[in-house]
Amino acid sequence: MKRTSHRAAWAVILGAVVVCLGLTAQAQRGSNRQRGGGDERFQTGGQIHGNVPYDGRFTFVRLMYRGFGRGGTSWIHDYPRGDEHLMKIINAVSLTNPHMDGETNILALDDPELFNYPVAYMAEPGFWQMSEAELAGLKAYIEKGGFLIFDDFRFEHWYNFEAQINRVFPRAIWHEMTADHPVFHSFYDINSLDIIPQYFQNYGKPIFRGLFEDNDPQKRLIAIANYNTDLSEFWEFADSGVRAIEDTNEAFKLGVNYIIYGMTH
Amino acid sequence: MLASVYQFLFKYQPLVFEQGDLVWGSSRWMAVLVLAATGAAVYALLTYRNVRGYGARDRTVIVGLRIAALALLAVCLLRPMLMLKVAVPQQNFVGVLLDDSRSMQVADLEGHPRGNYVVDNFGSAAGPMLAKLSEKFVVRTYRFSSFTERLSSAGDLTFDGTGSRLGDALGRAKDELSGLPLSGLIVVSDGADTSETTLDTSITELKAESIPVFTVGVGEEKMTRDIQVSRVETPRQALRGSFLVLDVVITQTGFAGQTLPLIVESEGRVVDTQDVPMPDNGEAATVRVRFKVDESGLRRFKFRIPEQAGEQVPQNNARESVIEVLDRRVKLLYLEGEPRFEAKFIKQALEADPNIQVVLLQRTAAATPSSPTKFLRLGIDSPDELIEGFPIRAEDLFSYSGLILGSVEASAFTVEQLRMIADFVGRRGGGLLALGGRRSFAEGGWGGTPVAEAMPVALSVAANARPGDYFSHVAIEPARAGLAHPLVQLAPTEKGSLEAWGKLPRLTSVNPIDAVKPGATVLLKGEDEGGREQHILSAQRYGRGKAVAFAVQDSWLWRMHATMAPTDLTHHQFWQRLLRWVVDGVPGVVEVSSSPERVEPREPVTLTAQVGDKKYTDVNDARVVATVRSPTGIVSEVPMSWTVRRDGEYQATFAPSEEGAYEVRVTATRNGETLGTSVTHLRAAPSDREYFDPAMRGSLLRRLAEETDGKFFKSADTSGLSDTLTMSGRGVTVVEEKDLWDMPVLFLLLVALTGSEWLYRRARGLA
Repeated sequence: MKRTSHRAAWAVILGAVVVCLGLTAQAQRGSNRQRGGGDERFQTGGQIHGNVPYDGRFTFVRLMYRGFGRGGTSWIHDYPRGDEHLMKIINAVSLTNPHMDGETNILALDDPELFNYPVAYMAEPGFWQMSEAELAGLKAYIEKGGFLIFDDFRFEHWYNFEAQINRVFPRAIWHEMTADHPVFHSFYDINSLDIIPQYFQNYGKPIFRGLFEDNDPQKRLIAIANYNTDLSEFWEFADSGVRAIEDTNEAFKLGVNYIIYGMTH
Repeated sequence: MLASVYQFLFKYQPLVFEQGDLVWGSSRWMAVLVLAATGAAVYALLTYRNVRGYGARDRTVIVGLRIAALALLAVCLLRPMLMLKVAVPQQNFVGVLLDDSRSMQVADLEGHPRGNYVVDNFGSAAGPMLAKLSEKFVVRTYRFSSFTERLSSAGDLTFDGTGSRLGDALGRAKDELSGLPLSGLIVVSDGADTSETTLDTSITELKAESIPVFTVGVGEEKMTRDIQVSRVETPRQALRGSFLVLDVVITQTGFAGQTLPLIVESEGRVVDTQDVPMPDNGEAATVRVRFKVDESGLRRFKFRIPEQAGEQVPQNNARESVIEVLDRRVKLLYLEGEPRFEAKFIKQALEADPNIQVVLLQRTAAATPSSPTKFLRLGIDSPDELIEGFPIRAEDLFSYSGLILGSVEASAFTVEQLRMIADFVGRRGGGLLALGGRRSFAEGGWGGTPVAEAMPVALSVAANARPGDYFSHVAIEPARAGLAHPLVQLAPTEKGSLEAWGKLPRLTSVNPIDAVKPGATVLLKGEDEGGREQHILSAQRYGRGKAVAFAVQDSWLWRMHATMAPTDLTHHQFWQRLLRWVVDGVPGVVEVSSSPERVEPREPVTLTAQVGDKKYTDVNDARVVATVRSPTGIVSEVPMSWTVRRDGEYQATFAPSEEGAYEVRVTATRNGETLGTSVTHLRAAPSDREYFDPAMRGSLLRRLAEETDGKFFKSADTSGLSDTLTMSGRGVTVVEEKDLWDMPVLFLLLVALTGSEWLYRRARGLA
């Protein structure tokens, strides 16, 4: 009898927990939808803040996608601190007037809102998967003038990344970037790519590759890939002392240049 | 018939009464006698008052009739007469000016050309009009069109002259006949004067010398079946790739209600066609045509309606215009005060435009105590260009044709720089475009600055105009004045264009602009979320230049927005047209123009050059030379001299001898240093002006006659011309007295008065 009542008590507690979790998740989804920041298709979970509506100011946009890696939803790695720290730096060093704390956006490639933000960032594209609608969205985004930053992937991740891009632009050619490209001089003069810090251990040097309009390096750079490194990891832990200040500075310089380039080219 | 009756009753033609002066021919004693007799008669009549049996009314009627009859007799006894100065036969000269221009080929005299009338009546000594005049006068005959010369034979009349310079013709005849006894000038014409100037000067000179002009209007004053392209105004110059929207005015008679095509051709290639419903007879229809000028050089554009059956003057169905399409790169400086997407997409829009160069000076970071303001320079021609940021010297800023101010606050400039920007528009004649943004307009502290004077919008200087106070989405549409502007044309038709505007995504604004300057034009308007109307795109002339305000912060959404297809180039097209318009007509250091716009071979052309230095300060001591290259490559130099009237203005005249395109290159130097060079083109070709407004212009001929004390005749009735001329009173004349007392009309009147009295008495039983 006593045993039975214990079981009943556990069942009640378990039921209450499930109900509470369910209600919380529902409330979170509702909130995200209202502010435009949630989409259950991409396993956003409960750790994101909502999007800010468009008001003409620069807003950091992180792209969310299908696909899992490194033990969870890979697109969200380093969010939100990486995004927000970069915005703080941009605000501090330049005249850009970005949204900052709690005001960065998360958008899917098939979200019409994405077109209000011509610069977008994607983390861990090695795990990136796209629906046909997302593919169409990405194609239009780039064709109209959008600029993409791919970050935080290495080694075999490239193959998936390239395959996804080839779905959009079948003859896309990724060019190795050199320090004389305008993207490395749009704000800071970055005269050598050798000094750029490597986040991953034992993977060699970071590699920067660019995708150009009409595959012509003389034309507009439409996307840049920080392959074999993870800049946003530096951005995320900039206030923690995990990484050397010098290395973090270099990562911020790249981030600032990318965004200024994306706003002027 | 009427004239015969008139002459029977009044003894003379009306002309005699018009020209003669009334005088009394009786002697003084006779006058006294008449007055005395009249007084006695009146006294006698008054005694009738005492006659019994007459009522008051009877007395009044009878006395009245009797007095009237006596008065009439008294007038006759006073011997009224007309005194006339009549030309002595063969002692006076008459100048006859015959219109020999193309318009005399118009066949509106019962199907015959106007020229036939001239040839038949005046072409030879045997012509009835000329013969009649020759009986009394020595006749000098001239033909006139673009020039005037003595007519030696009827064969000289070709009716192929490309102009009618009536004023010149009158002047030439007057001068040639000066000193001779001149009874007057006769102009036989349809009145289609194509001179650039009015006839006022000629009329004043003729009046001063008391020379009457008798005009004979040849042709109908109203056409019955004719279509005419009455007017089309095209720019003299346009940058290659520019989109033009032009109004073509069409008038017609006899085709009301029909729909006919208006075709626009460039060097024979059709660039636009529109179906035009013909307006009511005599009314004008305005048709808006749109086309792009793609090929550089001197381009001939023709606007024509195909000839219709039964048209009297098919030659006026087309008008030609010459536009000099310039294939040069015009440079604009775009200062953007903060990184934002507007700069990126404006640059993108202009990438495909070979004629517009935008140099972007992007301010990326503000100055700190240890570092200067940070700029990103894009599109520069040399490493030194804008190396120190926004120009501090006028000559550097003035080297650009246009200036775009993005989101940048007024305090970013020194006072001298602000004045320089205002001078850039007012003195240099540059185009200024101010964009919306949180640092723009009143929110950027521009109110009260020298630049605010140039801007087309009214800027508040109130302290409450702060960034962040206002933000709204705005739905944008063309304002009424913008409907005809090339910038606003998003589709081939006005309706399609308005629909296209309705589909564009809303933009956002942080600068509420609800007032513009009195002289400004609003091309685009918007409604914000509060329902208030905002002036989105407005412009005004300021000094020699133009200032434009575009009060949104994200026009790039017209390219990037989710509803815009990647293939939709509305944003690119808008910006290409906007910037072309901003720099349209921006002068160089040396700027040359020619006048008149249309010129015929051997006609004088006046070249006018405006010369300044690098700061666009007018220069009066330059050596200015025009190098003229003829169509066959003959080069001649024409020195130009300062006009003294205006600072920096130089002029010279030359007459093109060949038909075709001339290149005029003007170079200004001072102290051995070249100030600048400017090139213009002009085309010398026979004019078709004669065929426009081909109806006989009776009003002009009437005015010419009336103001010189002459008379206007229609070609159908010139019977009184010779007599009128005889009695003009000019030249060698004799005085003629014409008695009026024996006019039949007086006798009839006397009979009527006495007869009436007799009848009245009988009727009343008073006889």
